[in-house]
Amino acid sequence: METADAHDSPSRNLYIGVWVGLILIVAIETTLTYAHLSSGMLLTVLLILAIVEAGIALRYFMHLKYEPPALTWTLVPAVVFALLMMNQFWADAQRMLNMRFPSP
Amino acid sequence: MLEPAAYGIQTKKFVMWLFITADAATFGAILFGYGYLRYGSPNWSTPFAFSPTIINGLVMTVILLTSSLTMLFAVSSARAGERSTTIGWLGATIALGLLFAGLHLHEWFNMFHEGWSVSANPLGGSTLFGATFFSITGLHLLHVVSGVVAIGVIALMYQRGRLDASYIETTGLYWHFVDLVWMFVFPLVYLLNAH
Repeated sequence: METADAHDSPSRNLYIGVWVGLILIVAIETTLTYAHLSSGMLLTVLLILAIVEAGIALRYFMHLKYEPPALTWTLVPAVVFALLMMNQFWADAQRMLNMRFPSP
Repeated sequence: MLEPAAYGIQTKKFVMWLFITADAATFGAILFGYGYLRYGSPNWSTPFAFSPTIINGLVMTVILLTSSLTMLFAVSSARAGERSTTIGWLGATIALGLLFAGLHLHEWFNMFHEGWSVSANPLGGSTLFGATFFSITGLHLLHVVSGVVAIGVIALMYQRGRLDASYIETTGLYWHFVDLVWMFVFPLVYLLNAH
């Protein structure tokens, strides 16, 4: 049985506010790129800002804020779990970098 | 007897969410692959100058974010039953999507002209840069082009009265996801490769 989705619709002003906010975050990311941060620090900051952006887009553009919370709690942890499991590969990347055969 | 809809939302929307979940893992995997190869390559190139590449990337980002906004306006108009306004916003979304794709292809062809390819690096560094850059941006570009086609088909069928507003909302979910993926591609693939 299909049920009509009767969640509240945010106003267009809210959408425009979110759009401006996302563009500001992109501007901050670009500014930080040229702020002479260490590569590790820059990666960390850019990842945090990208996750914040994605969270805002999910909540307001994709309307997760207005959907049943159970939907969020089903989908988001599954993706996060899959992405966390992929972190096991870093050790092998380290091996690839440091255990090369010497050049002839 | 039909089963009730999962989570109280329309089945097609739930299926789109499941697709988005799987596609997020796909993009996650390809970005992790890029990180793995980059971390393991001692001679990684960072070829992107602020002008034109990063500026072009910024313009593309603003275009894609704006296309999400026009898509949201299309959904609002469709819910309000404003058929011609909805078609107008969907047309704007398609135009912005095509503009994004055009800028992307222009950037690609400039890189090809400079000697970049999936297996060549004109700077003499790791050839894996081209392999990962063109794979990631190519997969994203494929999603953008697919989205433009899907929005076009949905707009035509909505205009003819064969689909209701819920189909536009479901297609909008996909389009916002394409935007969301770019929020990771731009900083990780462009900004981290700026010199």
